[in-house]
Amino acid sequence: MAKLQSIKEFHTFSETLTKGDAHKKTVIISSATCGLAFGARNLIEAAKKEIEKHNLSREVDVRVTGCLGFCEREPILIVYPQNIFYPRPKPEDIPAIIAESVINGNPVEHLLYEDPALEKAVVHESDIPFYKKQMRILFKNNKEIDPTSIYDYIRVGGYQALTKVLSEMTPENVISEIKKSGLRGRGGAGFPTGRKWEFCRNAPGTIKYVICNADEGDPGAFMDRSLLESNPHSVIEGMIIGAYAIGAHKGYIYVREEYPLAVERLTIAIEQAHNVGLLGESILGSPFSFTIEIVKGAGAFVCGEETALMASIEGFVGEPRQRPPYPAEKGLWGNPTNINNVKTWANVPLIITKGADWYSHIGTGTSKGTMIFSLVGKINNTGLVEVPMGITLRELVYDIGGGIPKGKTLKAIQTGGPSGGCIPASLIDLPVDYESLAEAGSIMGSGGMIVMDENTCMVDVARYFVNFLKDESCGKCAPCREGLYQMYEILDSICNGNGTEEDLALLEELAYVMKDSSLCMLGGTAPNPVLTTLRYFKDEYIAHIKDKKCPAGVCKPLIEYRIDQDACTGCGLCEKNCPQDAITGAKKEPRTIDGDKCIKCGVCLDVCKFDAVEVV
Amino acid sequence: MADNGTEKDNEKKKDKQKNVTITIDGQVVTAPEGEILLEVAQTAGADIPTLCYHKALAPYGACRLCLVEVEDNGQKKLHASCTYKVKDGITVSTASERVVKTRKVILELILARCPGDEYIQQLAHQYGVEKTRFKIRFNGEETCVLCGLCVRICREKMEKGAIGFVNRGWKREVMLPFNQSSDYCMVCGSCLSVCPTSAIKNKNIFGKDPILIPSEFEIGLTSRHPIYVPFPQAVPNTPVIDDTVCVHHTVGGCKTCESFCEADAIEFEQKEEVVDIDVGAIAVATGFDLFDPQQKPEYDYDGHRVITGLEFERLVNASGPTGGKIKVDGKEPKKVVFIQCVGSRDKQGNEYCSRICCMYTAKQAHLVREKIPDAALTVYYTDMRAFGKGFEEFYNRVQREGVTYKRRELDDPIEVIPDGGTVLVKVKGYEDVEADLVVLATAVVPRKDTPALAQLLNINQSADGFLLEAHPKLRPVDTFTDGIFLAGCCQSPKDIPDTVAQASAAASRVCNILSKPKLEIEATTAQVDQMLCRGCGFCIDVCPYEAVELKEVNQFGHIVEVAEVNEALCKGCGACSAACLSGAIQQKGFTDKQILATIDALGGIL
Repeated sequence: MAKLQSIKEFHTFSETLTKGDAHKKTVIISSATCGLAFGARNLIEAAKKEIEKHNLSREVDVRVTGCLGFCEREPILIVYPQNIFYPRPKPEDIPAIIAESVINGNPVEHLLYEDPALEKAVVHESDIPFYKKQMRILFKNNKEIDPTSIYDYIRVGGYQALTKVLSEMTPENVISEIKKSGLRGRGGAGFPTGRKWEFCRNAPGTIKYVICNADEGDPGAFMDRSLLESNPHSVIEGMIIGAYAIGAHKGYIYVREEYPLAVERLTIAIEQAHNVGLLGESILGSPFSFTIEIVKGAGAFVCGEETALMASIEGFVGEPRQRPPYPAEKGLWGNPTNINNVKTWANVPLIITKGADWYSHIGTGTSKGTMIFSLVGKINNTGLVEVPMGITLRELVYDIGGGIPKGKTLKAIQTGGPSGGCIPASLIDLPVDYESLAEAGSIMGSGGMIVMDENTCMVDVARYFVNFLKDESCGKCAPCREGLYQMYEILDSICNGNGTEEDLALLEELAYVMKDSSLCMLGGTAPNPVLTTLRYFKDEYIAHIKDKKCPAGVCKPLIEYRIDQDACTGCGLCEKNCPQDAITGAKKEPRTIDGDKCIKCGVCLDVCKFDAVEVV
Repeated sequence: MADNGTEKDNEKKKDKQKNVTITIDGQVVTAPEGEILLEVAQTAGADIPTLCYHKALAPYGACRLCLVEVEDNGQKKLHASCTYKVKDGITVSTASERVVKTRKVILELILARCPGDEYIQQLAHQYGVEKTRFKIRFNGEETCVLCGLCVRICREKMEKGAIGFVNRGWKREVMLPFNQSSDYCMVCGSCLSVCPTSAIKNKNIFGKDPILIPSEFEIGLTSRHPIYVPFPQAVPNTPVIDDTVCVHHTVGGCKTCESFCEADAIEFEQKEEVVDIDVGAIAVATGFDLFDPQQKPEYDYDGHRVITGLEFERLVNASGPTGGKIKVDGKEPKKVVFIQCVGSRDKQGNEYCSRICCMYTAKQAHLVREKIPDAALTVYYTDMRAFGKGFEEFYNRVQREGVTYKRRELDDPIEVIPDGGTVLVKVKGYEDVEADLVVLATAVVPRKDTPALAQLLNINQSADGFLLEAHPKLRPVDTFTDGIFLAGCCQSPKDIPDTVAQASAAASRVCNILSKPKLEIEATTAQVDQMLCRGCGFCIDVCPYEAVELKEVNQFGHIVEVAEVNEALCKGCGACSAACLSGAIQQKGFTDKQILATIDALGGIL
């Protein structure tokens, strides 16, 4: 289509899009990376074929959307307008769904979602506990739009915020609106976004840049990827508005190479926005011009640090440099630059459209709006959840997450990625906001949330994160590079049963020195996993050091597998599965484990149906 | 990166406008706003350790040793002082408990990485860190602290990037591209010069040895930098940049020296220039060259074990490369042989006696005796020429000090043969002598450029190649060209007293001319009859004194060229008159007419 030349043209165009039949039958299939991995493509194909078979191609649409957040059950199929929710149907289920739900509007009972807590089938998404307590404002449109179609985005009200900004607001108005909303950076540190924009706007210089930080590097976190894959235009619209407010004409999206689908969908979205006239020279006929370029990173964790990210865009090795000067004064190629996280940018159009007042009513006194967490680990409902700030961990873990699998007990919740900390189960009623998390020794981070149960060794967890960071530190400054190496060595020796009490003191001393002296926040926050586990789980460390025991039964050198002779039925399953032939015993007699042969792989524990294998 | 310099300059200028007051360790200090805190604190006398800071490079902030505690608006935080720019009202503590504690742990970490490096050990020792509590890495063999100075100077200053970092985190290391030395590296050695530890030295990164610039003053016994003071007593005593080797002048970039010159005295645009000076007299005192001993292969000169007298002078000099310690291969030579008349009194070469060798050899033998009392000293000589005041007495004294003088005929064969770590001196009539060091008394020879100089000044050379005096007995300082005088070895070999005497004489001859208000010249000079002169220029070609030149004159409305004689230069030799085809140039008082009249008066021709 031809470029839209004015805001009026845009509104006319947008109206024609919304005029379509709002109740047209639609089969929605979520197909982001996770959905695709679980066979969404076959599902889509099957659905299309089946619809054709019934000669319904004109009456029924198939909409391929991004992720709906319920990772545990992706891909999800929703039949519209009845909103019948099918978690992970198989291609062979499609005929039944088309025949029963699409044509007749009735749910196919056996394919419906069965909630373990409610112990009954649920028809509608909104009734599912996983979704019920969420407040999906950023994710709201995920099921409404095909991420590769700008028309879908415009149809649901997309780019209205931009037209509002271009026609009614000065850059100063935009900044004050964002300031008023109380939006804080979603990348982790939580710096007030409006103030950041203001610094950049006021910084001397004619060339300015905006950057979208999509270098999501935390292990087990994928909120940003999901947003980019599911609703790329919301991020682009946010960036255009931000650029307008700051006075930038060029934007970069820094995204990792290992997010190919996000890159693909972003590329399409940018191209479409250009074609429609929403990016490029004089956007919608206004004097404002703005373009966006995608820069693919190689996936170094440290490149999420803003100065390292900019170095990477400039073509140098991604290494942080000392701040100040902050990017707002001297950023990309020495010019004032504003960097925000994907989620921060996506919040912007919402605030502009619905107003700062609406936005600031969500959340707590200092933490406004919603936050997307990737709820992973030992939890029933793994998924991406969008919740209002201030929700308690209990609500997150038990109400939305559905609690801990196999009835085990919660031990800790790790937030903020590798630089975050472990919050113990005793603080389960902690509200999730920037200040409370910091007080507990952790950080909000960009939304990673790992749930740990009783079988998690906290020393091992600390070692895991420190190991990750020791590899991912850029290696520039001595405390981070050498400190993480030594920290890992100490933790490793504790896990191996060689730790001493002096080690514990040294670990703590080192942690504080690293916090105090590292060049960037990677090193500054790297000791958090150690410090929080030391703070809340010191007894576990002591057990490793003094008793040479791993209470959670994880650290192999400190544990032994044994078979409870009373509980063992002599079924022999463990013996069959033992890769070392370490389990012996006569037929129908209780088995025993030969400690010398045992490599502590844990297979016996996993296969035993009678809980006869124990870890001591 | 290329703009760094100008940007830095601009920043400096801008910042110079505003001063801020800060407190460093209780001392109130004023400094330009935006100045690097490390530099301000160091100027104020604070002792702050650092590994990665370098004045000429962009602040990096990697080693974190220069951390100081800064109180700003009531908030106390640790900052790397090498990247922190001062602002008004801050209170800095460079050695608070928190700072020292942090530094100690960082030093322990670095020590665990480079336990064997002397520099790191010393630094740690300063902070009372003798041992690290951390695990020793790399079996204690690593010496690189990853301060990045080498990488940064190569990229920022040399504009090369021939060395860089590879890997990240704990695996980071400094490496060449593909771990191979390449021609891209120009072996400038800047990485080596900035490395605080022995890492670059140990890495052997160049693939080839850096080419050292031999020091002219030390006769190649040691090397010098591209920027250097020619010799300790040079006048003016200021450094010069050798633009044939300076990186900036040869390939661009660098300018590292600029960052260190507090007087802002370095001008890269300065060029060698030729200056015209009007003078009334010239004293030529251009000195001499030394005979190149390699022309006599029998001496097996190598500049190492067989050296010249001048090289020995540097070796024995307290400000020389060895600090006055006579050493060969790091050891004191116990057997030293001196050979005189190398290149002098040579019937096939320089027939003359160089005059200074007998006595300086005696002095050098005396010096060896003083510094190495048990050394065996032998001098091979032909005739002892101890003619000056006190010379004979000194010669006798040296002999009494146990220096063995052995006379040989100059025509007799002599040979120096390498013999493992020593040399063997074979001289006819004597038993072979083993020597750790052989000092050759090489001849004084005319400077290589003497012919060009002679031509330029219109003076003569004698048969031996030295400049020729006007008369060996009566005018030993003058030349045949008025106003040009000789002093020192440019005229013939001579020792210092003789040189001083001749130079004084030359100076007084110069004064003779310059002290008079008018210059007295020969009465008999040539003069041109402009009406007869055809401007052919023959006279110019034949004039040995360059006293004739052509000039344009107006003759009856026509501009014509005619010869003109510079009477100050003309010696009245008459060459021009003889050459003139039209008889236009004549000597005053000796015109053709006058000469013919004289002849007539004597009875006519025939």
